[in-house]
Amino acid sequence: MNHYDQAWQRLVTAARQVRDDRDTAAPHGFATRVAARAMGQRTEGMGALLERFSWRALAAAALLAVGGVATNYAMAPATGMDEAPMDENEVIVVFDIS
Amino acid sequence: MPDEPAFDLNGCLERVRQRDQAAARELVEHLYPLVIRIVRARLPRRVLEEDLAQEIFMKMFSRMDQYHGAVPFPHWVSRIAVTTCIDHLRAQKRRPEFRWADLSENEANLLDAVMTNENAAAPDDSLAAHELVHKLLGQLKPEDRMVLQLLDLEQKSIAEVKELTGWNTSLVKVRAFRARRKLQKLFQELQRKERT
Repeated sequence: MNHYDQAWQRLVTAARQVRDDRDTAAPHGFATRVAARAMGQRTEGMGALLERFSWRALAAAALLAVGGVATNYAMAPATGMDEAPMDENEVIVVFDIS
Repeated sequence: MPDEPAFDLNGCLERVRQRDQAAARELVEHLYPLVIRIVRARLPRRVLEEDLAQEIFMKMFSRMDQYHGAVPFPHWVSRIAVTTCIDHLRAQKRRPEFRWADLSENEANLLDAVMTNENAAAPDDSLAAHELVHKLLGQLKPEDRMVLQLLDLEQKSIAEVKELTGWNTSLVKVRAFRARRKLQKLFQELQRKERT
């Protein structure tokens, strides 16, 4: 052990003589507050999990809805184009009936 | 006055797992003395002991599922407390510069006595020694400070330090060795500054 180690050891030996006499009991209300927060946090955690899944479900539903509309929108004019153009005479006939 | 019945820790933990708030309160009250002693011995600057204790208990509750009984529950909580203190000390980053001029007259005399007189017994001024030791430890990195505090000041064994910090035996020894070398440099620097 060198000179500095000895100096350090003498210092800590003296420092150890100091006793901490402060009260170690939990301050009034501390345990209740911490317990309430901890238990609340666990419930909050479940709630937050559900909330996150709800948002994801909403996003997925919105995406599906947009996809559905886009698909049908694209198909509608295409279906119209596939139909044979109506003959002018037939149109007149139709108008005559009505 | 009859003795209070022993605290049923296992029963309490079981109730806490079932989210019984009263059991959680009892657990905090039971463990508070253990936690506050650790906090007070290692309290970083500008951190309130109650805030740090609360943070430790919140971690304890949030990690309760990770406790499988491999070590006694108070030891497990002690480790959370020690590592939380190290995290706070690490977060401080800047340590105040240690200058001879900042020492009180008692502290300066004491430091002078322990550094110059090799045969001197332990100094009588224990309060000044306590302050001085914490000022010196405050100059070290959090891990170095923690290892010297546990080994030298609190006289824990290497096995106990291992358990409290989660470090392995070699790491504890290496950190203690490095911390002592840094402390030696600090002493030398102080002596040099005192002479100039």
